[in-house]
Amino acid sequence: MDILACPIDKYYPLELHVFEEKEEVTEGLILCPKCLRWYPIRDEIPEMLPDELRKENEDLPFLKKWKTKIPEKILNEGRPFNLKK
Amino acid sequence: MREEKVKKKVREGYAQIASNSSSCCGSTAADETGKSIGYTEEELQSVPEGANLGLGCGNPVALASLKEGDIVVDLGSGAGFDCFLAAKRVGEKGKVIGVDMTSEMVDKARQNARKGEYTNVEFRLGEIEHLPVADNTADAIISNCVVNLVPNKKKVFEEAFRILKPGGRLMVSDIVLLRELSEALKKRAPPESCIRGAIMKDKYIETIKEAGFQDVKIIEKVPYSEDVLRDPDAKVVVFNPEKNAEELKSLSELDEKTKEIAIEAMTASMSISVSATKPATKSSEA
Repeated sequence: MDILACPIDKYYPLELHVFEEKEEVTEGLILCPKCLRWYPIRDEIPEMLPDELRKENEDLPFLKKWKTKIPEKILNEGRPFNLKK
Repeated sequence: MREEKVKKKVREGYAQIASNSSSCCGSTAADETGKSIGYTEEELQSVPEGANLGLGCGNPVALASLKEGDIVVDLGSGAGFDCFLAAKRVGEKGKVIGVDMTSEMVDKARQNARKGEYTNVEFRLGEIEHLPVADNTADAIISNCVVNLVPNKKKVFEEAFRILKPGGRLMVSDIVLLRELSEALKKRAPPESCIRGAIMKDKYIETIKEAGFQDVKIIEKVPYSEDVLRDPDAKVVVFNPEKNAEELKSLSELDEKTKEIAIEAMTASMSISVSATKPATKSSEA
């Protein structure tokens, strides 16, 4: 985590929110506190893709799935996708 | 828009490769290619089966003179072959981070890491034009036959420069062109092929310098096999990617035009390894 940076604005350190953990974090979310971009960790893989490679049809269900564990701010203002439409 | 299309093609092509190459019996050809471009038998045997997909064009690890404790970033890590070799060199105190934009590849790499019980290797899904790595953190960057696939090479080298520590090393192997390709060849080579994305050698070196690197040196040139029938670039323009390249037994099976293009593919490109350094002084950072 210490050297992970936001691929867009290069800000670090990023915040890690853990949803599910075995030996490693299996599901979670990495957040850039500067630009409010969030990056999913799915199947242990941090997906640090730029906006144009993100898939709304995969990312919105992810937000909904972990709604109760994700900070309100991200649900409403997170980028590139959020639940407030 | 064109760039996006190329990137999509590349992702799809490599996703295909990731899912096709089963770990049980597909590695013989990859090992052969591996030996021909400078990996030792020992290195090929030391990584988990399936980690070497035979997609590289030189062994940057052998060149990168990695030290114990180094933080290494691999641009376009694929199934993780070079990462695992690097991991051995940097040891428990070091760390290797592989970045690849194809999720199927990252999946495969992670499975391989588990098989090989590597604790100092991490893989991230990401784009090498937008590295998810903080400024001034890497001791060395390695990349093996990947940058050619990226439309915006300048951005890749700028990102590499940004994440390297002052004094850090860039060691890339890649395919470059020795002369411009004919239109006939361009039509035959798929967008996700190495040769199609490759740029002229001088331009490549210039792009690295423009990103701010010093001591830019071409330290090794590995000619592909002399034999057109075994040359990966020639194969790609001769065959449909789906078709098994082993089917071709002799050049005489090809029509004149195809033969000509195959020979052009082989002679107009070459594999180089480039080393470069980020200046140790802070003055060049901006």
